Amino acid sequence: MKVKEIMTKDVTSISPEMNAKEALNLLLKMQISGLPIIDEKNKLVGMFTEKDILRNILPSYIEKVGRFVYEDNPKVIRKKFQDLKDLSVSKLMRKDVVTVDEDTSLCEVARLMLTQKVRRIPVLNKEKKVVGIVAREDIVRAYIREAGWGTD
Amino acid sequence: MGNRLIPKFIFLFFLIALVVLSSQGIGLNYQQTIAVAIFSASVFATLLFWDFRVAVAFLGIAILLITKTVDLENMVRFASLEVILFLVGMMVLVGLLKEMGFFAWLVTLILRIKNLTAKKFIFVISILSALLSCCVDEVTSIIFMVAAILEICDYFEVEPTPYIIISVLCTNIGSTGTVLGNPIGILIASKSGLTFEDFLLKAFPLMSICLLVAILLLIFWYRKAIKKLDEKLKELGGNEILVKLISIPPERQLRLGLSIFGLTFLFISLHHRLELLWGLEANTLLLSVPLVSAGCVMIWKWRKAREYIEKDVDWWTLLFFLLLFAKAGTLKYTGATDVIAQRLLHVVEHNSVALTGVILWMSSIGSSILDNVVLVAAFIPIVQSFKDLGITLQPLWWALLFGGCLGGNITLVGSTANIVALGILEKERNIRMTFFRWFWVGLSVGIVTTGIIWLALITLPIYR
Repeated sequence: MKVKEIMTKDVTSISPEMNAKEALNLLLKMQISGLPIIDEKNKLVGMFTEKDILRNILPSYIEKVGRFVYEDNPKVIRKKFQDLKDLSVSKLMRKDVVTVDEDTSLCEVARLMLTQKVRRIPVLNKEKKVVGIVAREDIVRAYIREAGWGTD
Repeated sequence: MGNRLIPKFIFLFFLIALVVLSSQGIGLNYQQTIAVAIFSASVFATLLFWDFRVAVAFLGIAILLITKTVDLENMVRFASLEVILFLVGMMVLVGLLKEMGFFAWLVTLILRIKNLTAKKFIFVISILSALLSCCVDEVTSIIFMVAAILEICDYFEVEPTPYIIISVLCTNIGSTGTVLGNPIGILIASKSGLTFEDFLLKAFPLMSICLLVAILLLIFWYRKAIKKLDEKLKELGGNEILVKLISIPPERQLRLGLSIFGLTFLFISLHHRLELLWGLEANTLLLSVPLVSAGCVMIWKWRKAREYIEKDVDWWTLLFFLLLFAKAGTLKYTGATDVIAQRLLHVVEHNSVALTGVILWMSSIGSSILDNVVLVAAFIPIVQSFKDLGITLQPLWWALLFGGCLGGNITLVGSTANIVALGILEKERNIRMTFFRWFWVGLSVGIVTTGIIWLALITLPIYR
C-alpha cells in the first residue's frame, strides 16, 4: 500500500506569519498535535507542533541540567508562555521537516515516524507541493483494515 | 553557504602558506615545515572554521603520515590516549552525577541561601563556580551556575548579565585549581610529571588568591548592580518565597553517586603516594582511577552504560584533542619545537625568569582568542625542548596552566565556559553580549590575575 491511498488530502495549513496563540488554538480545536506551515508560494517551510511550544517555554539548557528543582512552575515559564501571543509561528516552527512523496510505502512512513520521532508527515508531489498529510493513526488504521479486523 | 566558505578556505590556504614561508625563514627543514603547517592549520581551523576542525584534523594527520613526517607508531604514541581515556572516564562520572541530580541539588543550595544580600550572593556564586569547576569540568559547572543565577535574577527582577559574567570569570579561575578543572590540567600533569598533590599544594592556593582578588575587583566593578540588587532584596523581602518552591533532598542514589565521585577524587589526589607505595609507573593511578570509577558506574547502571558512553562523552571534542596531540607530538618529533625553543631562549637571552614571564603572558594572551587546549598542546613540546637546553621546567608548566586558563577571561570567546554561558543568556533572556562589555571587565580580571601568578612564579621559591 502507498501513502497516497491513506493520506488526508484536505490539508489544513497555517502561514508563517500566523500568531502562535492563534495557531495553538487551532491545534486544540482540530484535536491534532501539529500543522504544516506553507508560505504564499505554496511551499512547505516548516511544521508547528505542541512540542515546539514546550521547547520554547522550557529553558534551552534543560536537557543538560537533568531535572527541574521546582515543586511549582517557575515565574519565567509562565512569562514565556504569555509571550507566545506576540510570536509568529515561523519563530517557533521546526524547519527541517521530514517529508515523503506520494508513492512511499506505508512501512517506510512508519519507519520514519519511529526513527525521526515525528507524528505527522506531510506528503509532497513531484513539484514539491503539499498534497496530503499522514498521521500515525492513519498508518495503524490502514494496517487494521488490511488485517481485516474491521473498525469504523 | 558554499559561497561564503570559499573565501574562508582561500584565506586558510593563504595563512598556511604564510606559516610555511616563515618556517622556512627561521630555518626549519622540509619535515619540520610540514609539521608546523599542519599544526597551524588546526589552529586556524579552530579560529575560522569551528565546524570543520575535526575534518581539518583528520586530513592533517593523513598528510603527516603520507609525507612520512611521522610514522604510525609514533603517531599513536603522541595521540596521548591516556589523557583521552582519563577525560572519557571523568565525563561518564559527571554524566552519572548529572543524572542523580547532584547539580540540581547544588542549584537548590544556592537558591536556599538565608538572609541573602547582594555581596553574599556574589561571594557564594563566585566561590561555588570556582570550586565546582575545580572538581568537574568547567563546561558542566557553568551550565548549572547560569541556571541558578537566571532563576534568582528573575525572581528579584534584576539584570542577570553582571552575575553571569562574575560566575564565568570565577569558573575560569577555578579551573586552574586541580587537574580535573580543565583538559589542560590533565594534559600538563601527564606530560610534566607534576602530581595531583602538586596541583593541590601549589596551584590551588594560587587559584584561591586570584579568586579572592577577582571577587573584590568584581564587587567594585559591579557596585551599581549590587546596589540595585540590595534594593530589590529589601523590597521583595528575601528569597523565602523562592525557597518554598524548591525541594530536592539528597536521595540515596545521589548519595551513592557522590560517594563514588568522592572516592575517585580521594584516590586521584593520593595517586602519587599510592603509585610509589605499589611501585607503579608515574601517573598510572591518576589516569586509571577515573576508568575504575566509570567502570563501576557502568556495572551499577548497566542498562544505561551505552547511553553514558554515547551521550555524556563529548567524542567530537575528544577526537579533535586526540589528533591535535598527535600533531603537537609530531612538532617535537621532527625537531621543529627544538628550533623554536632555541629561538625563544635566544630572544630572552637565556634568562629563565624572563622565559617564565614570556610563556605566561604568551599563553594568557593567546588563550584569550584561541582554545586553550590548542595553545597548550603547542607549547608542551616547546617547553619539553627547553629541558635539553638546561632550563628548569616547573615554573614553565605552571605558567602554561595559569596562562592558558586565566587568559580565557579576557575576551568573550576566550574559553568554552564563556561561549556556553553567553549562549544560554542570549537564548533565554535575549541579551546579546557585546565584545567590549565583556572585554573591559575580562581584561581587568585577566591582567590582574595573570599578574599575581607572574609575581608568584618569579618570587616564590616553591615554584622554581
